[in-house]
Amino acid sequence: MKLSTALRNKKLGVVVTILIVVMLLPFGSSAARFVLARDAEVPDVFLEMPLDYFNRCVEDTDYMRFRHMDLLKRLREEFIRDGKRGNVSLTKCRDCHTSRERFCNRCHEEASVILDCFGCHYYPEPDSVSQQLGT
Amino acid sequence: MQVEFSKIEGRSLPFYLAGAALAALAIAGIYSTYLMSVHGLYLSGMTNRVPWGLQISMAIFYIGLSAGSLVVSGLYGIFGKLEYKPFARIAAYLAMLFLIAGLLSILTDQGRVDRVFVKPFTYLNVTSMFSINPSLYSGHVLICIIYLWALFREKGTLTKIASFTVCLWAIGTHTGTGAIFAFVPRELYNSALLPPSFVAAALSSGAALMILVKVAVFRGTGRPLDDKLVIWLGRPLLAVFLVCTLYVLLIENAHRFYLAESREAGTFFLFGGFHSVLFWFGLIIFGCIIPAILLFVRRTGTSVPWVVFSSALVVVGVLFERFLIVIPGLIHPPELFPGWEVTGTVLWEGIVEYSISFYEVLQALGVLGIIGFAFLMGLKFLPLAPTEARQIAPA
Amino acid sequence: MDRREFLKKGGAALAGTSGALGLPLLTSCGVNTASEDSPLAGRKWGMVIDLNECQSDCTACLDACRHENNVAFHNDKRWDIHWIRKVNIRSKESEDHTEKSVLLLCNHCENPPCAQVCPVQATYKRADGIVVVDHHRCIGCRYCMIACPYNARFFNYKENEEWPNTDFPKRSHGVAESCNFCAHLLDQGKRPACVEACEAIGVRALHFGDLNDPESDVSEIVASAPVKRIRDDWGTEPKVYYLGL
Repeated sequence: MKLSTALRNKKLGVVVTILIVVMLLPFGSSAARFVLARDAEVPDVFLEMPLDYFNRCVEDTDYMRFRHMDLLKRLREEFIRDGKRGNVSLTKCRDCHTSRERFCNRCHEEASVILDCFGCHYYPEPDSVSQQLGT
Repeated sequence: MQVEFSKIEGRSLPFYLAGAALAALAIAGIYSTYLMSVHGLYLSGMTNRVPWGLQISMAIFYIGLSAGSLVVSGLYGIFGKLEYKPFARIAAYLAMLFLIAGLLSILTDQGRVDRVFVKPFTYLNVTSMFSINPSLYSGHVLICIIYLWALFREKGTLTKIASFTVCLWAIGTHTGTGAIFAFVPRELYNSALLPPSFVAAALSSGAALMILVKVAVFRGTGRPLDDKLVIWLGRPLLAVFLVCTLYVLLIENAHRFYLAESREAGTFFLFGGFHSVLFWFGLIIFGCIIPAILLFVRRTGTSVPWVVFSSALVVVGVLFERFLIVIPGLIHPPELFPGWEVTGTVLWEGIVEYSISFYEVLQALGVLGIIGFAFLMGLKFLPLAPTEARQIAPA
Repeated sequence: MDRREFLKKGGAALAGTSGALGLPLLTSCGVNTASEDSPLAGRKWGMVIDLNECQSDCTACLDACRHENNVAFHNDKRWDIHWIRKVNIRSKESEDHTEKSVLLLCNHCENPPCAQVCPVQATYKRADGIVVVDHHRCIGCRYCMIACPYNARFFNYKENEEWPNTDFPKRSHGVAESCNFCAHLLDQGKRPACVEACEAIGVRALHFGDLNDPESDVSEIVASAPVKRIRDDWGTEPKVYYLGL
């Protein structure tokens, strides 16, 4: 079938149109959400900072914001495979950043990055922490 | 020789019904796999003592089936047997589908399906048979696609080269699949004869399935098919493959039974429970001996219904053979304390049982549904099946 | 574009894609072996189990292990996980049918079949000889369980609902695991939980130490006493020795 005759084929045209619409649905929905949510109150994704006296993390804030996954991955390999257990560990994050909901989940949901650390590593449940804080 | 290939009409009610049924099976299988990936593999019948079950058996069954299809295809490609040209395309297409089915079965059996596409590429362990084999399988699929393309374009030289490569590669694939089990320190797995026996059974099951598929496609679409072509596949080819299978099985079990160190395991395999019933009746008697006799006897071996019947027996028999490769080796306990017997434990220590669960069956049917659907679609949209297949006079 | 053209281009695209997917395979060969500068190098941890001291009805080490490592227990034989387990055996040959209770755990073989067959190098031997599972990598193919001749490896068919020790991670469903000699405690200079528990109740059935250090407890026992390993003839070279087996 030549392309020109294919274009004139009505049935094929309908099928292709439906396919394109289905493929574009996710983009459309996110675009719509973006337009609708513009006026509403949007929380800053970088929100939850720890209390003042913990203001020194293992690296700079900017590094931790954008590259923490690299750090965690590198440390993970060193911990498990080479036995280099340093002072940094995932469980120590919770000493300062008490709320997993506001510290991890908010940004990860925004970026659609699935977070599966805490099925196995202990981090207090977001619910119980927010209850403790009275929020 | 000019052979006309054409798509099938694909508008009859049986065609739509078959398509719908296969699609439903595929969806059920996908749903079952989704449930397992969310809730855990405890939904399958596997346990800590029997960690491989139905899905792995099905995987090696499918991979075996692909070989026989390729051999039939190779009859035209390598040996230039022109009368088998009508079957070459359909055989190559089926071989590709069966390899994909094998890969799908392995994939759906993993505990963390989400990681399968990432980790093996970044952290491949070259000493593992399980990481070598998927590369063999995907290479196989690729060569099948090239071969199929050469067949569609009617490229003589490329067809020959591709057909030769694909048959060589198939031997590698099947030896590798057998090696998954043979290279493991378990009494009933650890046998250098396992890869050859795998290849022999693979060839029988593949040839048998080709006979079934061919008769079904030609009869289903009402296209003329010369009986001689079917009979030749059955009479010398399948019958010889069956004899090879029987021979390797005999040597393997005799060796196990003869040596004192493995006699206990050999006895367990031959006379140790339900799997022995499958072995003797499902595989040896109804899967090999009766079909072989039916094919060798002139009266039954030259009538299409009998050839079809014996092919069906062989396919089922080889399915049991695959099950018998995987399961008995696991339910038979390794002897940790020679001269001592285990009396009490928290784990299932002695001979254990394996029962297939409902979800596992759904998964297996799902894979069948996916490739069955793909096969129907191939018949409809690609010129796979010839309009007629006749014996031609030798030139 | 006609069909032939389509098949041609489709085939080329497929070949290109699989070539691109295959490239990382080449680069990954040979990397990810244990690094040379590991602080673990030089040691070789081993264990001696004294069955004459071990009491058949005592479960102190089993409980300590389960608690320390969050090992799943569903009260179902099919899915329970036992990093360390007890097996009662009875002699077939001798007249009196002597009974023994034997502790079974991962033998941390020098030639571990499980590490050899792991397709993603999730199971591997550390520089100090401990066979460890990296659960972040495990894809759950269960080939290691097939390969282990000691039935010492287990699979998380179900997720563990309990979480007794929050300092140590538990495992998601779909990964394999086995005893790791409490590697996280060893790295902090402590000893495995089972050894500590055994000593805490006043029994000296479990000895743990460095087999490379001739001064250590285990090296002395291995050198002087008639120790046995389970199925030495398999060539796996276990590092768990038994006294009185």
